[in-house]
Amino acid sequence: MALFEARNIHKRFGSSVVLEDISLSFEEGQVNGIMGPNGAGKTTCFHCLTGHYKPSRGSIVFDGTDITGKPPQRIARMGVSRSFQMMNLFDDACVIENIILALPEFRRRYAQVTSSVFNDKVLLTQAYEVLDQVGLLGQEWQPSLSLSYGNRRALEIGVALAANPRIVFLDEPTSGLGVEATRQLVKLIQKLRDRYTIVMIEHDMRFLFELADQISVIHWGQVIAQGTPDELQSNKWVQRSALGAVA
Amino acid sequence: MAMLQVNQLKKIYFKGRFNKTPTFELNADFSIQNPGIVGMMGPNGSGKTTLFELITGSNSPTSGQVLVQGRDIHKVRTDQRDRLAIHYHQSYQVRSFRSFVPNVLMQPAGSDYPMVHLFDEPQFNTQDGYIGFMLDFFRKLRDEGRLVFLCVHPNERFHLEILQEICEQFIFVQKGAVTQHESYEAVLEYAPAQDYLGQLLKERAA
Repeated sequence: MALFEARNIHKRFGSSVVLEDISLSFEEGQVNGIMGPNGAGKTTCFHCLTGHYKPSRGSIVFDGTDITGKPPQRIARMGVSRSFQMMNLFDDACVIENIILALPEFRRRYAQVTSSVFNDKVLLTQAYEVLDQVGLLGQEWQPSLSLSYGNRRALEIGVALAANPRIVFLDEPTSGLGVEATRQLVKLIQKLRDRYTIVMIEHDMRFLFELADQISVIHWGQVIAQGTPDELQSNKWVQRSALGAVA
Repeated sequence: MAMLQVNQLKKIYFKGRFNKTPTFELNADFSIQNPGIVGMMGPNGSGKTTLFELITGSNSPTSGQVLVQGRDIHKVRTDQRDRLAIHYHQSYQVRSFRSFVPNVLMQPAGSDYPMVHLFDEPQFNTQDGYIGFMLDFFRKLRDEGRLVFLCVHPNERFHLEILQEICEQFIFVQKGAVTQHESYEAVLEYAPAQDYLGQLLKERAA
């Protein structure tokens, strides 16, 4: 059975249907890509899957448990992490503080943390482990705002990983990144794929074709195509496009 | 029972509050028996979007009726009409529509997923590769027993290729007059369509 499954999700806001009928399933250990044009419903879909919106109809099952309509913090604690399209970092805090704040261990004990968290061996060990995963060792004491844009993205992914999730949803991780930073991100995700199930919304088809095991194309609030990168690339019109020339 | 039946449908727009003079008149009378993919073409301002709105029940006709699988869409609850026929707008505009009859006095749609899908000038771009996915999706809808309308305003050669590849029949709208054509070849024989497509057809010949 898939680790995460959405069945016939329908979401409407008043008279407008944003998600018509979305069914997705994500196997454990796979990198899943979600792509689609602007306004297709990709982010609304993420909001529904991670509990930020309650679907009007349909169900969401994570690891055998129905999580439909559960609040986002409950879903997060069960092992579902996400990042947002707009960066959500504490700019004035340093890199390691951003990570520590996201550690479940910190949240469990924060009332007891009377001395500086920086003397707390358990928290520091966990935070360093996350920083190592996202390649930010050596920059832990810098204010997060001073990082390059690409590293801020990495830190954001680190914040999502700090919660020790089983599945991570990333909303347009390459947005605003240059060629070099995107290449770094590809490397980072290739490193993380052994440990986590990853779901990424992405505009950049080449990025997904390179990384994803499975891709779902969303348009008009529906899944209009689904398959492996090879399957999708074999489409005649994809062959004719700028992507076909590269593939 | 026909998938879609448009019976003597008429919509007249007027100007002036007291001394009303008609500014635009749309007339349509056609029916589509089976699930399929129908291409729709016509010059700007000819009434394509108005026809879509009348079919989805988001605009009231002056007279006539629209039956989606036998149900008069204008008698279905306004909050359920998109379960029968849904209009995917050109841009992502939201239009609100109210009926004078309260919803409790109207019929339910009787469907969870729309029977008729009207795509109003979807953005086709040969560079991004999405066209193939969209066309496959239209085919999937047809194979699942739905009726698909694809409205395209052809201004590039590949728009005609798309219509030829995917549409089984055509509706042509010109100055409010709606005609039905049984194939791509048939619509190209129609003089107003030839005038409308003019340059694009010559490009093909060249």
